[in-house]
Amino acid sequence: MKEMARYGFILAFICVVAAGLLAIVNTLTGPKIIAAAQSEEQAALKEVMPLAAKFTAVKPPAAEEILYYKAFDAQGKLIGFVFKASGKGYSSVIETLAGIFPDGKISAIKIISLNETPGLGMRVAEDKFTAQFNRQSSLDLFGVQAITGATISSRAVMNSVMKKAQEIKALIKNDPFDGSTKLTIDTEQGRSVDSAQGHAELTKGESKHDK
Amino acid sequence: MKNLIKEFTKGIIKENPTFVLALGLCPTLAVSVSVANAIGMGIAATFVLLGSSLIISLIRDFIPDKIRIPCYIVIIATFVTIAELCMKAYSPALDRSLGIYVPLIVVNCIVLGRAEAFACKNNLARSFFDGLGMGVGFTLALILISAIREFLGSGQILGHTLVKGFEPIFVFGMPSGALLVIGLLLGLFNLLKDKRA
Repeated sequence: MKEMARYGFILAFICVVAAGLLAIVNTLTGPKIIAAAQSEEQAALKEVMPLAAKFTAVKPPAAEEILYYKAFDAQGKLIGFVFKASGKGYSSVIETLAGIFPDGKISAIKIISLNETPGLGMRVAEDKFTAQFNRQSSLDLFGVQAITGATISSRAVMNSVMKKAQEIKALIKNDPFDGSTKLTIDTEQGRSVDSAQGHAELTKGESKHDK
Repeated sequence: MKNLIKEFTKGIIKENPTFVLALGLCPTLAVSVSVANAIGMGIAATFVLLGSSLIISLIRDFIPDKIRIPCYIVIIATFVTIAELCMKAYSPALDRSLGIYVPLIVVNCIVLGRAEAFACKNNLARSFFDGLGMGVGFTLALILISAIREFLGSGQILGHTLVKGFEPIFVFGMPSGALLVIGLLLGLFNLLKDKRA
């Protein structure tokens, strides 16, 4: 019995020291990890919408999930939207980040995660394929050629981008606010709200009605 | 001093953790797709090996024999978490490409194997050199495997194309290619060992 208590004490002591050490490391690295994740996100957004200077995330009020991003240029003018599309490829879910101009044309796309067959499906992430999307209409992606031997992966990217673009378009259509207006009166609720936030609340409300 | 150097060098060739002891093959198979991955994984594993070997050899008289394994695991897990947090903070791209294999160093049998077989019986200096040697041996093995795989599988080394017009052999980029390369290298090391003996 006495032995057992001694063992327990020793193990607990080691655990306490370890936990203390980890707490210190965590406080040191925590802010850096968050900053790295944020700058990475901004860099990825910038890649698909190079003209934009600033991005704001649009998300429903209570949820963490981001619906899409609004892209603003240096003067604060809304120049486009960025969204994440995902579709089932040959052996994985392919996630794509796509920038779209207000006229429905694609700005650029970037594959952010995939696990397809090396040498075949994996090639959808190459510039040769993704650059074809630039300035294409998000309705039909008419000028995009699938990669030989990787039709399923190519289609997955194209279809997911087209489908998500339509969804985003519907969301944006329901948005009466012009992105360049900083402060708007939300007539429905009769109070002043910041345009980005008000917009998020509204889209949430509207999408509920749609269902 | 001569002894210490021997502790260091044995991990590189004579008792190479991958090719001779054949320990920790799972992360070796998984991360040896590219040389950059191999270097990152090797550094993380060496850091953990070094740290855990030092601490365990330092407190080896304090840890009762009966509960030594849980104690070792707590110590190893602490170092792994430190390595993971630092990697996330300073090299997020590397962290993403290594993925789950960094936290999995906790159960890497090289680390626990050295703690159990060496650090708990030897003094600080010897454990330090043993851990360092094993870590360097593991890193070199990873670099060797990944260099072969990256060259044959994608025609590149560290992202640079070496031979123009070389058509990559895709199988080497896949797990089956990893098994092939590791198997052949293990055989080669055994052949060299037999010749020497």
